[in-house]
Amino acid sequence: MSTEHGMSKTSHAGPHKGEHGENHHGLSEKGLKAGSVGLIGAVVIGVSCIAPAYTLTAALGPTVAEVGVQLPAVFLVGFIPMLLVAFGYRELNNAMPDAGTSFTWASRAFGPWIGWMGGWGLIAATIIVLSNLAAVAVDFFYLMLGQIFGNPDLADLTKNLPLNIATTLVFITLACWISYRGMETTKTVQYVLVGFQLLVLGWFAVAAFSHVANGTAFDATAISPDWFNPFAVGSFSAFAAGVSLSIFIYWGWDVTLTMNEETKNPEKTPGRAATVTVLVIVIIYMTVALATLSYAGVGDTGLGAGNPENQGSIFAVLAGPVMGPFAILMSLAILSSSAASLQSTFVSPARTLLSMGHYKALPQKFSQISPTYKSPSYATIASAAAAAAFYVITRTTSENALWDTITALGMMICFYYGITALACVWFFRAQAFTGAHAFFFKFLAPLLGGVILLVMFVKTAYDSMDPQYGSGSSIGGLGLVFILGMGVILLGVVLMLVMAKVRPEFFKGTVLSRGN
Amino acid sequence: MRYVVGYSANARGHDAVNLAVSLALGRGASLDLVLAVPEVQQFGAAHAPRAGYEHLLTEQAQEWLDQAMALVPSGVPVQAHLRSGESDAHALIEAAEEFGADLLVIGATSNGIFKRFSIGSVASALLHAATVPVALAPRGYHRQEALTRISCGLGSRAGAEKLLDFAIGIAVNRDVPLRVVSLLELDGGDPAGAAGAADAARDYAEEHLAAALPGAGREAGQEPKTEVAVAHGRSIEEAVDRLDWEDGEVLLIGSSRLAKGRSIFLGSTASRILRALPVPMIVVPSNYELKQPDQPASNDIPGEAQK
Repeated sequence: MSTEHGMSKTSHAGPHKGEHGENHHGLSEKGLKAGSVGLIGAVVIGVSCIAPAYTLTAALGPTVAEVGVQLPAVFLVGFIPMLLVAFGYRELNNAMPDAGTSFTWASRAFGPWIGWMGGWGLIAATIIVLSNLAAVAVDFFYLMLGQIFGNPDLADLTKNLPLNIATTLVFITLACWISYRGMETTKTVQYVLVGFQLLVLGWFAVAAFSHVANGTAFDATAISPDWFNPFAVGSFSAFAAGVSLSIFIYWGWDVTLTMNEETKNPEKTPGRAATVTVLVIVIIYMTVALATLSYAGVGDTGLGAGNPENQGSIFAVLAGPVMGPFAILMSLAILSSSAASLQSTFVSPARTLLSMGHYKALPQKFSQISPTYKSPSYATIASAAAAAAFYVITRTTSENALWDTITALGMMICFYYGITALACVWFFRAQAFTGAHAFFFKFLAPLLGGVILLVMFVKTAYDSMDPQYGSGSSIGGLGLVFILGMGVILLGVVLMLVMAKVRPEFFKGTVLSRGN
Repeated sequence: MRYVVGYSANARGHDAVNLAVSLALGRGASLDLVLAVPEVQQFGAAHAPRAGYEHLLTEQAQEWLDQAMALVPSGVPVQAHLRSGESDAHALIEAAEEFGADLLVIGATSNGIFKRFSIGSVASALLHAATVPVALAPRGYHRQEALTRISCGLGSRAGAEKLLDFAIGIAVNRDVPLRVVSLLELDGGDPAGAAGAADAARDYAEEHLAAALPGAGREAGQEPKTEVAVAHGRSIEEAVDRLDWEDGEVLLIGSSRLAKGRSIFLGSTASRILRALPVPMIVVPSNYELKQPDQPASNDIPGEAQK
């Protein structure tokens, strides 16, 4: 090449160095702009990652099934391990910002095998939530059609198994295609979606309370201080199951803590955004949880929140009686937020798979980036295929697929968050006692959080062997939730062993080395 | 003189690099290969941190740019740039403005399999917004030698004179012949009428050409060899097929930019020509030509050094 061939010299914009071997020989990377998100933007991102309308409709029922009226208590307590783990997550993210997150961090702390399983847990959790998001979107899609045309038969179409599966696969395919094309939900759309969700949830709560006040509620139940007492929960099993579900409702909150360079004031914005986000979320969760319990009670008949019929998607049942003709707004809010989350969540397993491919922990194909759309191509399609397969299997084997997937999901999140938190403790073990800040954030908080989550994981996994667990579906005398959760983890172990045979470099620990 | 090349690591990107090399060789232009990556932002990605992914993307993009540089022969100065923006088109236009580029070169094909040219999304976005001429490489363009002939599509629209001046400038600077092309769409029924229309078009073209040549104020010996070609068919596409095209030829077409925003930059006739055209096309913005008289230092693309 002649000397005229030159690269324009500009320093690499990112903070990322060394980790992957060489530094960049100066490429101009103008336009990779940092510092564009302010406090409100960061809160919107946090709330949109949590997607409260979707989360509540998916998790409220299953949680009530476990802990009954102590729902508010468990929602509050569930935040504690999430907070503790998120501190560790933030420390790791600051030290090693990487697309592989849990996979990379656990590999650096515990070596390739545990690292691989950490990555697998993260991928499995996001794949499971994808199939659940698509299913919820489909339910509310048909519900909304029914509401638009005033024809309840249309809403019932979602119970037609082949049609339901076909529609869900279409939704997954569409979201995959959008993600593959590298199109992302824009800032404006997220602002509108988040604002709309909060508005509709507020409306639902107000409407439910006014029914209670007017004596038109289904099963008016007086709020009691006991609802906020986590020790009033019947058994440790129920408590563990409730907490692992409420981990799911805060899942995504951690993103606010890890936004640094992209915020306008990296010193203060992430902390404030995390605080504001969690306040917004807790207020909306408490209000809606109290409204639901006050209006419907926890009875297991009719509209009761304890009725297994209602627990897969509580708002699908309650929005109509509570909000009257405006229930269509709830359908619209949940449909739009779950559809948007479906698309934005696709990014996560795709990036983790891409990163694992990059570190030679998966076949080369997973590290492909589409030259045309500049998105992880193979990884995105693989995620969609996995989500579709998971949905088809669950739907055809479970009596209540939504319920069982959410329970399995809670377990999976506990699994990989637990590993991640302990990875933080182990990775920073040399610094643990170098000061109060390091002791708390790099040692104590993640240690407590990680242990709590892994205990919840083991307890829930053990309990879910009971064929009556979750929606009460079982295969061969084992609860379906156990089969789903453990099956996914075992599948991970098998794939890991195959990979170790096929592509041993990563498992020799030479690609991602341990230690600081 | 700088040409900005919109590169992507696919066949389309190769077409663009080849065309850019062909265009640069006749004029000693330098190339700026621009690879646009999407802005990695938080608003559209749940549970997916940005930092590390951006790094992987950058690493891959850099590898692609290294490969792209290797496609350019050593006689052509070239630089590589990695850009991000809301869209590829946006990033390219920004780069072109920043470098004061004289031309944007892109591979224009979409994934359509039937026609040589069917406009891709980036190309069509560019054609709606670019402020400099845009060169569109047809599918599978592999030539890397200087141009051998310039064709200029002559319409009856106002502004044709400006385009002709521009074309003459290019032909002179590159020392290649200029062919003025008139394409007619006629329903075949009446051969006499067709012949008449063709003659009228030829007269029109020759008249304009004659007016343009001395009017360009060039010294003796700076007039290009010129010819006029008229082709007709039942459709524009058929007319294009009936003309002979040299491998090293490009067709200049004036844009019909009616308004900003959603308006069609490329007129409907030009789009149809594009569909059938076997050689590259350069679309020249209409306001671009109008700028020329204000820049007395150059009779050609601004910035092109005089011989």
